[in-house]
Amino acid sequence: MFVQRRTKGGIIAVAVAAAAALVASALPAHAETGVTGSTIKLGVTLPLTGAAAPGYNKIPGAMNAYFSYVNANGGVNGRQIKLIVKDDAYSPSQTLSVTNDLILKDKVFALVGTLGTANNEATTRLVNSQGVPRLFVNTGFSGFADMKKYPTTFPLFPSYATEAKIMGKYLADNFAGRKVALIYQDDDFGMDALKGFATAGTSFVAKIPYAALSQADPSVIGKWVTSIVASGADTVVMFGVTSATGALAGGLYKANLIGKVQLILGSVGSDGTTLKGLLGPLAPALAGSIAASFLPSPADATDEYITQFKAINAQYNAGATFDNNILVGMNTAMLTVQALRAAGTSPTRASLIKAIETKGSTWASAAFSPILYSAKSHVGYTGYWFGKLGLDGNAVSVDGPGKYTLYTTDSGSAPVVKAAATRPAMPAKGLPKN
Amino acid sequence: MQIFFNTILVGLSSGAIYALMSLAIVLVWRSTRVVNFAAAGQAILSTYIGYEAMTRMHNYWLSLPVAILAGALISALVEAIIMRPLAKRTKGTPVESIAPVIATLGVLGGIRSLAGLIWGNTFLQYTSPLSSKGYMIGHTTIPFSPQNAAIVVGAAVVLLLFAALFKFTRLGLALRAASFQPEISRLSGVRVDRVRTIGWAFAGAAGAVAGALVTPTTYLSPNSLDLLLVSGFVAAVIGGLESLIGAVVGGVVLGVGFAFILQYIGTSVTFSAAFIILIIVLLIRPQGIFGKGSSREA
Amino acid sequence: MKHKSPVIRLLLLILIGAALIIGSGYVDQLRSYQGAQVAIFAIAISSIVLLTGYSGQISLGHGALMAVGGYAAVLCQSHLHIPYPFAFLIGALAGGVAGFLLGIAAARLRGPYLAGTTLALAVGLPSLANQFHILGGEQGLLFDVGNPPASLGSDFTQYRWFFVVAVIAAILVFWLLRNLLSTRYGRRWRALRANPTAAALSGINVAQAKVLAFTLSSTVAGLAGSLFAMLLGLVAPLAFTLTLSFTLVTGAVLAGVSNLGGSIVGAVVLVAIPELSNTAATHFGGSDKVTANLPGVITSVLLIATVLFVPNGPKLPRMKFLARTRQ
Repeated sequence: MFVQRRTKGGIIAVAVAAAAALVASALPAHAETGVTGSTIKLGVTLPLTGAAAPGYNKIPGAMNAYFSYVNANGGVNGRQIKLIVKDDAYSPSQTLSVTNDLILKDKVFALVGTLGTANNEATTRLVNSQGVPRLFVNTGFSGFADMKKYPTTFPLFPSYATEAKIMGKYLADNFAGRKVALIYQDDDFGMDALKGFATAGTSFVAKIPYAALSQADPSVIGKWVTSIVASGADTVVMFGVTSATGALAGGLYKANLIGKVQLILGSVGSDGTTLKGLLGPLAPALAGSIAASFLPSPADATDEYITQFKAINAQYNAGATFDNNILVGMNTAMLTVQALRAAGTSPTRASLIKAIETKGSTWASAAFSPILYSAKSHVGYTGYWFGKLGLDGNAVSVDGPGKYTLYTTDSGSAPVVKAAATRPAMPAKGLPKN
Repeated sequence: MQIFFNTILVGLSSGAIYALMSLAIVLVWRSTRVVNFAAAGQAILSTYIGYEAMTRMHNYWLSLPVAILAGALISALVEAIIMRPLAKRTKGTPVESIAPVIATLGVLGGIRSLAGLIWGNTFLQYTSPLSSKGYMIGHTTIPFSPQNAAIVVGAAVVLLLFAALFKFTRLGLALRAASFQPEISRLSGVRVDRVRTIGWAFAGAAGAVAGALVTPTTYLSPNSLDLLLVSGFVAAVIGGLESLIGAVVGGVVLGVGFAFILQYIGTSVTFSAAFIILIIVLLIRPQGIFGKGSSREA
Repeated sequence: MKHKSPVIRLLLLILIGAALIIGSGYVDQLRSYQGAQVAIFAIAISSIVLLTGYSGQISLGHGALMAVGGYAAVLCQSHLHIPYPFAFLIGALAGGVAGFLLGIAAARLRGPYLAGTTLALAVGLPSLANQFHILGGEQGLLFDVGNPPASLGSDFTQYRWFFVVAVIAAILVFWLLRNLLSTRYGRRWRALRANPTAAALSGINVAQAKVLAFTLSSTVAGLAGSLFAMLLGLVAPLAFTLTLSFTLVTGAVLAGVSNLGGSIVGAVVLVAIPELSNTAATHFGGSDKVTANLPGVITSVLLIATVLFVPNGPKLPRMKFLARTRQ
């Protein structure tokens, strides 16, 4: 027995090594949570019902449409992507409850595009303790780029502070000497913006704060307008959500101020389609307003990303009008597919995070801004271009159609840099081959 | 001075809407001693029905009576199907006063979800042919538009109609009798159940007017009348819950009060201020401004 | 009903608690989380039962009192660096102080007037966080109670720890409330609820009894709020909405309003209903519109049906030691 084994020792060693190698290669593919040989399970939370739902509730449909398209074309390394969508009605306690479901019951591999600042804060402890990657969160709160506090979280959108700094520079370059009033949402969103404007050295003749969601109250809008008139402002910067922008346009129209004050809109509240839905026949009131954006205009038929996404939307998301929310959903989904591809043939949560940190900055995305992901930074987009809203509510670059000038900076004290916009080309047929 | 005047105008038009909602709550309270938290939900549903009518008939004015009738019908159904059996089941139990609150909250949530199910959680436009551009006085535009005028006129008309109804008609008398002395009314031949359902129907109609008039100034979504839930109820309580005039005064006081607080203090304190206004009013008059001291307890 | 001595009651409760805590080792994290949710809701509902079922006052603003407790606990922990069990106590105290002030006004108000005042509080108070920047604005303040004690072993999960903390708090609250209700205060409140006029005639200081009930109820709500903050890991205005206040009153009605033991049933139902309706909605599937809104429809229908068919809450014959005593 002993002798026999000894003589066969070499063979056994080889067999064991081979088995170990098999197990090693097979295990990660089947052992990582949310990944099987044929599927990858992802999760997203956002408001599908409640006051915050309109607009945002189109995002999951768009993400699903893009994933279906990729699945129909072979999936990611042979695996089909399955997205589980949960409604949190914008309440952090519901976000936590449904995220518990996603992570502990549905056992998703990663969270993608989860929406809201307080909502993402509420799930941070769970996400961190389980080591769940949280990709391309849908908020401009700059804090999520802190890699110590949020090691697995990747913000995508430029921070509000960045946007305010850039807007301040744009105002100084193009509207010097004008009397500018600022309307902002009175929370971290607005505070971030005030910080950015302070860094840029922008001075305002009036600063008008309003509580989130109070724009539904007509007397709040009345107060904006009386304050604008009282301050004598000829230019108004709006740093609020879309429904607030819509309410402001309505208020200005009512006060007969359309055409008399120049509106400058932040990216959060300037989606053309949503504004059209909000304003109806009043929509042309916003024509001539200047809006900051990081993604191209959804109406730009010359943009290769827009045309490709539009085609996918028509095929896999029947009935949904292509707008900025659809664009955000598709763009997030496309970055996710690139991240999953880069995470390897047997993706793990660790390999996914590593892939984004090492290669994320090179991936194709619709925004003109570069992505700054690296082993030392989780900052996503950093740049904006400026457009003028047409009668249809869609923005056309101030430099003319298809010509984009990009302003980039950071959330801190770095100067604002102006440059011609460049970005990676759209992969053929919208299917990444990274 | 200009700002002061404008603030009053802004407050007046939102106050008129609160007043209509408050009327809806007072009418229900008077007929069945129930605080109807579903009033804003019923108004949402009737406004959606008005919206459907408008997209088919292409006429805002024709869609108004449709919305009002729908509002009355929805409200009557809520009373007949849910509230009446509930009142019978809980009579004399510890939950008699609080179970109806829960039931109306259930109706509110149910209607909002149902509206989302049918029309989706998006913004819809229910537009009025009246301009929402403010009137011009000399060279200044005041924050008061023809649509605002329609709101104020609508609130006044509804108030006058109901006042006349209660004062001069047999139905009005029966409504009052059924609410204050149900047993005696029943004995004297008043069909109390039917009269109560009619009280709810009138309330639903008032809420429908509020929804159909205010929605053209904003937009329509399952949650677009949420603010009215709180404002309408607070206005009704300030006014004293019993009195139609009180409901309207409460609405206007709250509307103008909010406008001034917004203008001179800040937005985050609005509802805290509503709380403080309410506490002050109720500490001086625990039955509200127009409530009768001897009114029955809830 | 025979009065069990407080010691026996405590022993019974401790036995139940110990069984639950040991049992929590055999369920997954999701159930631990839901268990913690149930325990916290049970505490919050018991505060409404105390107020409405025993002293006859209505509050639609207990979500705001939970916010007071939550914010107080978080502020104390982050600025004074006190250990978190004390933060919970401070949260309870803060709730009590707020409730005392509110109770003074509330004692003069009846029925819908009180409902209206507390409703305005529920909407107004949390939005104050946007006015004062120490309160963290819309995104709120983080609340980290740290990891479970190392002595419990490394596989003792955070949620199981929250469950243990919440269950211990719930047992203490139920024991204290139950004993309190069998003292003369409890008898006074019941007399008050049954017939305020008769109570006043028999020498009960009605206003004082009402204020005391409001203060105690708010103390319990404050504690629930600080535990809720622990579970969420933060306080934010959006976490303490009007919906939360309404949910608590709903839970109290599901509990049978004057039934302290029913609070637990009410809490279980509150946690179970959304889960059930979500499962049902996913099952029936369909468009985004359907999956988003069907749970709301189901929840509302269940709620209305429960109030309509079981308006007085569940019958709980086997939980007499917690049930309301009837004279």
